[in-house]
Amino acid sequence: MADMPKKKRKGANTSLVFTNKMYIFLIPALAMFLVFWIYPVLQLFYYSITNFNGINYDFDFVGLKNYSKVLSNGTLTNSLKNTMIYAVFTVVLSNVIGMAIAMILNTRIRFKGFFRTCAYFPALFSAIVVGFIWSYVYMPGAGMIGNLLTNIGLDGTAFNPLGNFRTALYAIAIVEVWKGFGTTMIIYLAGLQTVDESLLEAGRIDGCTEWQLIRKIKLPLISSTVTINVILSVIAGLKAFDYSFIMTNGGPGKSTKTLMFQVYETAFTDMKMGRASAFSVMAFAFIILITVIMLFYLNKREVEL
Amino acid sequence: MNRKTMFALALTGAMTLAASTAVFADYDHEAIENSGDITITLMVSGVATDNDFETEVLPNLIKEKWPNVTIEATKLPDDNYYTSLKTKLASGECPDLILTQPMYAGQNSCYALAEAGYLASLNDLDTVQGRQDMAAVTYDGDIVTSTSGVSILGCYYNKDLFAQAGIESVPQTWDEFLEDCQKLQDAGIQPIVMGDKDQYVLQFGLYQIAANEIYSKNPDYDIQLRSGETHFTDEGTWDKVLEMYKTLYDNKYIDADMSLGYGASQSITDFIDGKAAMTFDGSFNAPALTAEGAAGAFERGYFPIPGTEGVYTATCLGAGYSIYSGSKYIDQCKEILDYWQDGHSDVWKAHLATGRIIPVYGEGAETVPNIDLFQPFIDLMNEGKGFYWCNQAWPAGTENEMEVLFSEMVGGQGTEIEDITEGMQEKFEDLLED
Amino acid sequence: MAFGKKKDDREKEQYLKLTPKTILLYLVIILFCVIVISPLVIVFSSSLRSPENQTSPLALFIEFTGASYVRAFSNMNYPAELLNSIMTTAGSVLIIVIFSTMAAYPIGRIKTKLARFLYFFFISGLIIPSQMVIVPIAQTLNRLGVPNTRFTPMIMFITCSLPFSVFLFSGFMKGVPVEIEESAYIDGASLGKRFWSVVFPLLQPAIVSCVITQGLWIWNDYFYPMVFITKKAQYSLPVGMLQFLGDKENPAQWNILFAACVLCALPLIVIFLALQKQFVNGIAAGAVKG
Repeated sequence: MADMPKKKRKGANTSLVFTNKMYIFLIPALAMFLVFWIYPVLQLFYYSITNFNGINYDFDFVGLKNYSKVLSNGTLTNSLKNTMIYAVFTVVLSNVIGMAIAMILNTRIRFKGFFRTCAYFPALFSAIVVGFIWSYVYMPGAGMIGNLLTNIGLDGTAFNPLGNFRTALYAIAIVEVWKGFGTTMIIYLAGLQTVDESLLEAGRIDGCTEWQLIRKIKLPLISSTVTINVILSVIAGLKAFDYSFIMTNGGPGKSTKTLMFQVYETAFTDMKMGRASAFSVMAFAFIILITVIMLFYLNKREVEL
Repeated sequence: MNRKTMFALALTGAMTLAASTAVFADYDHEAIENSGDITITLMVSGVATDNDFETEVLPNLIKEKWPNVTIEATKLPDDNYYTSLKTKLASGECPDLILTQPMYAGQNSCYALAEAGYLASLNDLDTVQGRQDMAAVTYDGDIVTSTSGVSILGCYYNKDLFAQAGIESVPQTWDEFLEDCQKLQDAGIQPIVMGDKDQYVLQFGLYQIAANEIYSKNPDYDIQLRSGETHFTDEGTWDKVLEMYKTLYDNKYIDADMSLGYGASQSITDFIDGKAAMTFDGSFNAPALTAEGAAGAFERGYFPIPGTEGVYTATCLGAGYSIYSGSKYIDQCKEILDYWQDGHSDVWKAHLATGRIIPVYGEGAETVPNIDLFQPFIDLMNEGKGFYWCNQAWPAGTENEMEVLFSEMVGGQGTEIEDITEGMQEKFEDLLED
Repeated sequence: MAFGKKKDDREKEQYLKLTPKTILLYLVIILFCVIVISPLVIVFSSSLRSPENQTSPLALFIEFTGASYVRAFSNMNYPAELLNSIMTTAGSVLIIVIFSTMAAYPIGRIKTKLARFLYFFFISGLIIPSQMVIVPIAQTLNRLGVPNTRFTPMIMFITCSLPFSVFLFSGFMKGVPVEIEESAYIDGASLGKRFWSVVFPLLQPAIVSCVITQGLWIWNDYFYPMVFITKKAQYSLPVGMLQFLGDKENPAQWNILFAACVLCALPLIVIFLALQKQFVNGIAAGAVKG
């Protein structure tokens, strides 16, 4: 193919070694991706303009009604708000904790391996198992924290984070952080290990404080790691579903209904597949928007730093 | 026990009782005998227990009866059951036999599934011939669910704690009920425990009150909702029901601070541990609620929440089994259902022994576990004072809106009664649309 | 990696001296680890009690019995579920590695707009949550006549893993020297030979990373198996765990549930403890190289 005489376009593949024939290797992955991922996503766009209920294939086109309904009935606003709070909370907390622990473990501390194992351990458990464990931790009265409070003389039954409208969302976000920060920490640790010790030495000789070393040398040098970690946790945060599903079922009230939980509920409880699709399309657009903005911003910062 | 005449409501004009009793061409009663080794799949909701009926006992008993039949049963927790059912229907991989609920109840409602053409007609089952109580599972003239039992919503109570608080008999009016709650509270006993973190449990109390205050006066309330003659916002209907239930929270008879973070199974545990005197729950949970907990084997009772004007009950036809219309083994499944539901087979008896079904006919109906608890409800029902559960008549999702808004109200989110009724009406109309 | 190793050696020689500042550091990290690990310790301690003994769970390790494990073991049908989990995870990961290294080959090597577009095309898949597309996926499988077997979730695991894996491998591919391949090209090696014998072996660190991150996710995922598996005999461990969700028949039998939790995570814990170094490096490499 490379030898074929053709109009030489700007950006065309001119490499002799890496010819377009290599695209053959792409076929299995691309085929699967198109059939089982892209095509279903396109189907969503199609359903979003129908009144499909998820089980009855005898449905009609309803134009943009689903979109206007989703915008007007408040479900999008509520779940968007919850998702944003959840995402911001988990992103900030897991990155701050992850980085702090990584920095401590990057010093010449004893039992480093043990501490690292402890911090990473929760990441090994399935979301369903984690959901069970934390349902128990949070249970008022007989749960772990409730028991602890009772033992130190406080009222353990009054501790009810999942039953309180103001705290439930944060309570499940903490679970996400608990399970997720270990992975973040390991990635930061790897990033920190690439920081050249001699730079730090030079900084120390110049009389920098530990905080200045972090701020002026370490952070700038691991900025690409920060980008990766933040993006990964933003994506995970925006996709939040598991703990609303397993631990709170969206409650109390609507206080832990995230975008994905709302999509799931609209599709499966209300049997409004069409509307759920419209919801998905909008949620999808939103997630893309956020991710692109984040990438853009973080890349810019990376350059500035 | 005779076949009980169920109080059932004819929701659609097209649904006629006559249709269900007409004579139809018989299905092939030798279908299983004439097939080779076959595997019938069954999917139900719930949680498998030791020696579970659907996943262990039933397959074994069917194997004994027909060695060439293997039943592969799956039991999933409710939410997962709904999800699985829907995707399996979408992918044409639906199990042969599925659990469905009467009318429009839940996401496995037999009307919604029948409307989409997923359920085979069961009009020719031997066990449904002559039954007059099948309206709630009859869609467009076809019986689509084979069900043999009723389900009850009521109030379980701890007789020891009642005695401790000086309560001698179960309350007969709403005011008496409130008085009893107060007595319990004064005696330092938590009157009622509920697991409102699982918001569906709000239905357990509300539907009983609705039977008392709404359906007893207007049994056609929900039909009229659909035709627009009545609304959830009508004065003296749902506003009253919600207000009454709210009273229990206002007086801390149910502690919202606690209940909103409490799961359904935790509230059951609290009840059997003797930490609360009452809990609203269904007959389907009787085995768990009569189990021995930390409080030992105290005596339990079960009564319908009384209304302001008399006692009615939310007792109605329970969930049953449907055959997937795309099944390769429709006649074989019919043979199995007929054997299972015949009122005297080993499968029937084993099913009764689970204590999770209260049969309306057949042998052994008077010996099912906890029948003493259930009998008052069954008697009420036979007097015409039993009504279906509200969500059976509503499009799935209406009750969720009710639960969410009610939780918000008792959770101190500033939601008022009229916000709930308006929200329910809006959701109801929204779901009916299209 | 080599750098990290050198550092490790050096650390063995000298640790931080105990000054008030470093003692504070130790206190912080110890306290933090205690908080993080405490739920797991309570779970483990309770799982070793009999199902009935639920009082004062904070009194750790006061009873040692396998009773709860026995119940959980039989409730879950553990051996079958374990086997299913192993098969699903191993099978999916194997195919993921093959397909995505292959896909990353042209994407990482060819420098055209098309290759760049394909790179972003795959990555865009990262942000689509499964809940959103599950019904259309079920229909697609149906239209293609794919029956619901234990292999159906594997199809979705592989597909969902492609965005990340392609991203990982094509990032890593950039670090594999082009010269090696050029000399293979001059020696007349075919494209297939160049990929499988020259490039593929050099991807080994990224493969480890892919196997670990994707294996962890697939092992723990409950959504696809929950939706696509009808037969109890084909359940994987997390789906078996779902059976405990909303268990009303056995109210709050926490000890059995905890034993089940431990059983569910046990294989991963064992693998993690045995291969800690590879785990940690693999996860780090996955993110940093990509």
